[in-house]
Amino acid sequence: MSLAPVTEEVVRPAEDVSPDVPWVTIVWNDPVNLMSYVTFVLQQHFGYGRAKAEKLMMQVHEEGRAVVSNGPRESMEADTEALHGYGLWATFQKDS
Amino acid sequence: MARAFRRKGRGEDLRYVASLDADERDVVASLMEQVAGLLEPPEQTATGDEAFDALVAGISLDGDPGAGDAGPAQERPGDRDPALDRLLPAAHREDAEASREFRRLTEGGLRHRKADGLQRAVAALRTPGGDLALDAPAAGTFLTALTDVRLVLGSRLGLESDEDLDALEARAARLDPADPLGHALALYDFLTWLQETLASALLRA
Repeated sequence: MSLAPVTEEVVRPAEDVSPDVPWVTIVWNDPVNLMSYVTFVLQQHFGYGRAKAEKLMMQVHEEGRAVVSNGPRESMEADTEALHGYGLWATFQKDS
Repeated sequence: MARAFRRKGRGEDLRYVASLDADERDVVASLMEQVAGLLEPPEQTATGDEAFDALVAGISLDGDPGAGDAGPAQERPGDRDPALDRLLPAAHREDAEASREFRRLTEGGLRHRKADGLQRAVAALRTPGGDLALDAPAAGTFLTALTDVRLVLGSRLGLESDEDLDALEARAARLDPADPLGHALALYDFLTWLQETLASALLRA
């Protein structure tokens, strides 16, 4: 996995206009953030219990990414901003 | 010689306590100050838009400011310090316009909050006294400040994948002791260790 910023432009798929598909916040694996820290942040920001936070953290670690929240776009943008505040590598997108 | 963060006391008296000598405190504080400096809005080179964005970033705006689109420097991540792009990454992987809009609305506030957290961590480190003793909110701030410094150091060290660190450690073992890469890696490892002990202590709360 690369830490390089994403610069390519991709044409939006047609389903992007569908109003009822929820959006998601994704945390991506990176070589710097510690497993303990990622668990702490997921508990702290989302109020997740230890078990759920650790499960998501392990998914990030092993699969390279995990959906950590879903809901309306505005909420996902707010989660992404908060996670950037914590230094996690987060993005938001329409659920697929 | 540094001593790891540990929990001390209970309830309102709970503190996260580490022992760092004067040199260690100074090194960590200096790194945090450098990262805070990196996060300062580029006012001198700004076309005006970035400064404006910084001012409005913390304010909720109903309407789109319209003509105040960010300048080209903000739109091409490749033009920025890669470490800054790791602190403030693109928020959408496929939709460049969504990333640009997100950055326009959030970057000023994020820069400000990160710099503020770093400065508060520096203040704790510069407070005279034997142990560094942090209450829970201060410990959280310190933990994130350590993250921001490690993200910048990791970027400077070229860490892009989990394998990169192993490769770098192997390379460093063969380096001349005076090589700055070895020094940077030692700093990174020290901060990793310090952060791990604090995160573990906080997780036990």
